[in-house]
Amino acid sequence: MKDKIQRLIQERIIRETEAKTRRHFIKQCATGMGGLALGSIFAGCNDFLKDEKSFKQSGFSDRDLNPLATLAPPFGPKVKNVIYLHMAGAPSQLEMFDYKPELQKLNNQECPQSLIEGKKFAFIRGTPKLLGPQANFKQEGESGNWVSDNLPHFKTVIDEVAFLKAVHTDQFNHGPAQLFMHTGSPRLGRPSIGAWVTYGLGSENQNLPGFVVLTSGGKAPSAGKSVWGSGFLPSVYQGVQCRSKGDPVLYIDDPDGISRNLKKSTIDAINKINKEEYARYADPEILARINQYEMAYRMQIAVPDVMNINDEPENIKQMYGVEPGKESFANNCLLARKLVEDGVRFVQLFDWGWDSHGTGRDTAVDIGLRNKCREIDRPMTALLLDLKQRGLLDETLVVWGGEFGRTPMQENREGKEMGFKGRDHHGDAFTMWMAGGGINKGAVHGQTDEIGFSGVEGRVSVHDVHATILHLLGFDHEQFTFNFQGRPFRLTDVEGEVIREILA
Amino acid sequence: MAFLMVFLGCLQSCGETDRVDFSTQIKPILNNKCITCHGGVKKNGGFSLLFEKDALAENESGKPAIIPGNASGSELISRIHETDPELRMPYEKPPLSEEEIDLLTRWIDQGAEWGQHWAYSLPEKVEIPAISQEAGFTADGTSNFVQNEIDNFVFARLESEALHPNPPAEKNIIARRLALDLTGLPPDQKLFTAFTDGDLTYETMVDTLLARKDYGEKWASWWLDLARYADTKGYEKDMGRNMWRYRDWVISAFNENMPYDRFTTEQLAGDLLPDPTTDQLIATAFHRNTMNNDEGGTEDEEFRVASVIDRVNTTFSVWQSTTMECVQCHSHPYDPFTHEEYFKAMAFFNNSRDEDTPDESPNIRFYDEEQQQDVDRVNAWVKKYGSAEVAALYDDFLTFNEPKYLAHNAVDFTNGELADTKYLALWDDGSCTLKNVNTSGAGFMYMNYRSDIDGTQVTIRKNNSEGEILTRFITNKTEGNTIRKIPFKGTDTNIDLYFETNNDNIKKQVSTSYITWFAFLKDIPGKSRPGYQGITETFLKLLNEHTPVLPIMVENHSYMARATQVFDRGNWLMKTDSVEPGVPKTLNDWESGWEGNRLGLSKWIVSKKNPLTARTFVNRVWHQLFGRGIVASIEDMGTQSDPPSHPELLDWLSLRFMNEHDWDMKALIKDIVMSGTYRQSSKNSPELYQIDPNNELFARGPRRRLSAEQIRDQALAVSGLLSDKMYGPGVMPPQPDGVWQSVYSNESWVESEGEDRYRRAVYTYLKRTSPYPSFVTFDAGSREVCTIRRTVTNTPLQALVTLNDPVYLEASYNLAKFMYGPDVEKGISKGYEKATYSKITPEKLEALKELYEESLLEFDNGESLGSNFFTLAEQPTPQQAALTVVANAIMNLDEFLSKA
Repeated sequence: MKDKIQRLIQERIIRETEAKTRRHFIKQCATGMGGLALGSIFAGCNDFLKDEKSFKQSGFSDRDLNPLATLAPPFGPKVKNVIYLHMAGAPSQLEMFDYKPELQKLNNQECPQSLIEGKKFAFIRGTPKLLGPQANFKQEGESGNWVSDNLPHFKTVIDEVAFLKAVHTDQFNHGPAQLFMHTGSPRLGRPSIGAWVTYGLGSENQNLPGFVVLTSGGKAPSAGKSVWGSGFLPSVYQGVQCRSKGDPVLYIDDPDGISRNLKKSTIDAINKINKEEYARYADPEILARINQYEMAYRMQIAVPDVMNINDEPENIKQMYGVEPGKESFANNCLLARKLVEDGVRFVQLFDWGWDSHGTGRDTAVDIGLRNKCREIDRPMTALLLDLKQRGLLDETLVVWGGEFGRTPMQENREGKEMGFKGRDHHGDAFTMWMAGGGINKGAVHGQTDEIGFSGVEGRVSVHDVHATILHLLGFDHEQFTFNFQGRPFRLTDVEGEVIREILA
Repeated sequence: MAFLMVFLGCLQSCGETDRVDFSTQIKPILNNKCITCHGGVKKNGGFSLLFEKDALAENESGKPAIIPGNASGSELISRIHETDPELRMPYEKPPLSEEEIDLLTRWIDQGAEWGQHWAYSLPEKVEIPAISQEAGFTADGTSNFVQNEIDNFVFARLESEALHPNPPAEKNIIARRLALDLTGLPPDQKLFTAFTDGDLTYETMVDTLLARKDYGEKWASWWLDLARYADTKGYEKDMGRNMWRYRDWVISAFNENMPYDRFTTEQLAGDLLPDPTTDQLIATAFHRNTMNNDEGGTEDEEFRVASVIDRVNTTFSVWQSTTMECVQCHSHPYDPFTHEEYFKAMAFFNNSRDEDTPDESPNIRFYDEEQQQDVDRVNAWVKKYGSAEVAALYDDFLTFNEPKYLAHNAVDFTNGELADTKYLALWDDGSCTLKNVNTSGAGFMYMNYRSDIDGTQVTIRKNNSEGEILTRFITNKTEGNTIRKIPFKGTDTNIDLYFETNNDNIKKQVSTSYITWFAFLKDIPGKSRPGYQGITETFLKLLNEHTPVLPIMVENHSYMARATQVFDRGNWLMKTDSVEPGVPKTLNDWESGWEGNRLGLSKWIVSKKNPLTARTFVNRVWHQLFGRGIVASIEDMGTQSDPPSHPELLDWLSLRFMNEHDWDMKALIKDIVMSGTYRQSSKNSPELYQIDPNNELFARGPRRRLSAEQIRDQALAVSGLLSDKMYGPGVMPPQPDGVWQSVYSNESWVESEGEDRYRRAVYTYLKRTSPYPSFVTFDAGSREVCTIRRTVTNTPLQALVTLNDPVYLEASYNLAKFMYGPDVEKGISKGYEKATYSKITPEKLEALKELYEESLLEFDNGESLGSNFFTLAEQPTPQQAALTVVANAIMNLDEFLSKA
């Protein structure tokens, strides 16, 4: 433990020194080129800028040249990277982690009016019936934490994670709830958590986007790209969706007929002329553009490289259960590890298909949900193990959750009885887990009532979750602001408390 | 003269040492050091410094903290002197400086006179600074800087900083800058040559460009950001909507140079103008650009309220540079606006008919010629035989199907539900109630519904299950939605409608029908006249016609009016006191003659006494041209905004815009682009950058990266591909496969054909959850909410777009065609010049020629050219391909992507 802290402190010092050195270099050279250790295209920058001396004092920072330049967080961080696994549609905590034997006993009984009075549901009408857990639970690992037989692999790593059993949200429709979960506001227009983090810390790898989004399950999340948008932050901080089909990043592939060599010459010519233009106008934006063209060239190699899972060893592929060439959660878990390994700051996975209303087989909590669990069980277990065996789990935070939970009552859409067993949207209490650096392994925080309707202790809000993630990355969520429309904005708005109970 | 200025300056500053000025000297201290704990949100110790009234009032200690005229007796002063850290203010923060303490002390001793922030009052007149003759001298000693009054203000400031303006930009540079700024496109060759050859004056060029239709397209792109215009509804389903007629309205309003006051009124309240025209109704779609949530299970009222809130926030952001969002939940932490004032403002917007229904009603209907003749016939009939009131009623109903009662407001369901939370759906033996309905004494009810089942008896009773039967009828299977006319016994007072359904031939829990709305119209007059039957049939037939539509604003009739209540902490479910429409007290007074609705609000906004309307507009137009506002925070003019770099210039331009130009937008723009300030060279130097990195002083002309729209339009323009077709539904130029991915929506991107692939960017279909990808990369937004500023970024993804996107490849190929010829150097020079409007330098030519040769070597040498070079439809020769590579490089040059 002590070693780790030592290492982190060490690393922070190194990073700060690096940043300083880079600034120094930039001021000397006033191009930023060398600072990024390119050397690939340009020999140097000596003849580039004649006005070196004056520029030195002009306060033109490396962020101006490269908005993704690494920054050290204000406080000691526990982790460098985040992998956020979002189960879009909202998975049922009652079939996965929140074991409620009492609910089993009350199965098929009418829900007491007192419980649902004044509550709003998306589809439940009138008096619904309670629905017992549709899975078998066991206590697993040294922690003895509960997990259902829907997750036979995950139970082997249960001691790595800390559970939040009483998360709540005030949104009960997918779009707004996903926005709330990822931007801290149910309405559009705010930056996503990944954008905040990338804005605050920059990227470790200048050849890759700092914030990468991977989707699976056949559809994008309900709230669309706004859940990884940059809101009022500069657009460079928005999530870059990397795709399993087509170009991994839009327009990353060279057009037919253009060899790498020729692309290099093209960028060489462009930047040569841009240097001429700089000599004429002395507009630092031109320097930034020269830099960006260099980066684009390198990104064209780095992105397809990191997105290629074919060359991974067989045992790793098996561990995750990848299906190369397809869009799958397993592939995305492996990609998440590769991306984090290569220094991507924030990796966001969205897996669609968790909306278990019971309107058909696919959305029945005893059929469709079970299948969805099988799809994620092995890969997410492999992700934790793989990160661990590479020593990356200590510096990475893995977050798992949905946008809300599901009701202990069986859904009776429009007051009708339904053919399959389903559960409606429910924001009062649901489960999330976190694993990785700074997390108290095996901890459980929060508890729901006997049927899992509401949190009875350790209730935490979406803002609390955000405050905790930022804390682990080295930010005080109350101090981490961006001025917009004349006032400072925070990810956590005016709320949020760090959930100390799950911190190591 | 210079001596006089120094002397005057001394008088001014010497005076200041005596009298402390609240706005410039005291307010900044309070805002920076005190107001976070003693403001609108936190009022520690019961003490707030936001309003004079609170600051001088007794606080929790029972006495006031500030006693005017008595600093030594004022708690505020003793607490800032305190040595005990528990008592010293600012609490747990560094103490105030000697100078700050001295200022506060003298201010209180002088009577603690409260002043108003500059933004909340507008002077009646501004003196233009006089400048000496030498003052026109630019950095290179030429004396043609001062072109109009703007330059006097700018120069006075430069002089005070001992700086010189830049010399004017070269003719080719200013011509390109001006054309891009006014029309969004580079100048056409004819105009460019005429100007650079001296056959055309600068002013004539300005006038010519302002008169082009491209002008409206360019400035509409900007306004549509503010209006949050998009072609889809947003949220989860994000289905398409028909908004493009509003976009076209904006383009033509700019092109026709509609005065800004009218431009404002028509968009905010066109429907409330007397006898509004179709165009005035279309203009109100400004506030129907709010999102509409069709997701299953969402409560329409919640999202109706969300739209109303968005309208309040957008109105104040767009016209007043004021962030009303802050007072949604509590009084403003910094600005003098109260929580209650938010809801007073909201009351203006809370009485429109729209209720977040999937059909987005109310919609204006666009009839074809034949249908329009029928409409005219019905209207003429009603006008001839009925009162003016009834005539207006039928005219309205045919135009936008209002007033009607939406069935989603039904409550108290037994054996039935709101299907998908949207439609009234009763089963066998079902009942529900629609409350507080004005049936207008109507003899008929119009009902919009669909049904999959035959033989349901529907009964509507007055008030409850025991009430009088108002109508009883049978519903059968329909083909989709249909509007039916049903005999009905209407009353003149508001009643509840109690619904019953019976159908013995269906299973339990099967919906008998899905009802969308009801309408009760006073009967068509002229019953005894021949032709009456035909008219009533025509009317019903017209209602059932499927016409193109556009969502618009329509106000509730008084009998449908909603009361507006304050939401506790901004929560729409926690309603407290009722409020009447009203405007913030800090701003201009409400005049008694104004209507208490959106029309009145728009009059208040365009009143020449409003201190923020003209300033906001002027500042943002300035920002469009210079890339920086006179107040840099273009979103906000208030306590927390940046101070204006040139306060008198901002006021002078604002007064001139209102009083001399009478809100003429083109005249304002012309004033600015005619100035020497605008016409300067944008050359920077490290020395100048050091003094003024953000060009606050305007000692150089603007140099900015072009907008997403401009970058695309320019590439198409210089390669000769750009279509000049105007208006119409959004078009879908090529984008990569698989970009659209929406839940529960089967809409898809169907690539446009022919010239629609090459239309100006303003016509590109904008799907909110998935905007056109290359625009997003160049900082265009998704237009979900009002966007006042696009942050300009500089990223590698942008390079990938202009290097690899087939749109730019095709443009490069077309530019290369123009360059092709026996003399390669000449060809490259020609292409460079066509794209950048500058002569190529030997160094640049050398670099591009090298690239050409290298490309040619590669293409000549082997099969590397491939059969799908640049995904072009044609197969180029190696020479053409090499020139295409060069053209692509030209389109990636900073000078191409920027205006200098």
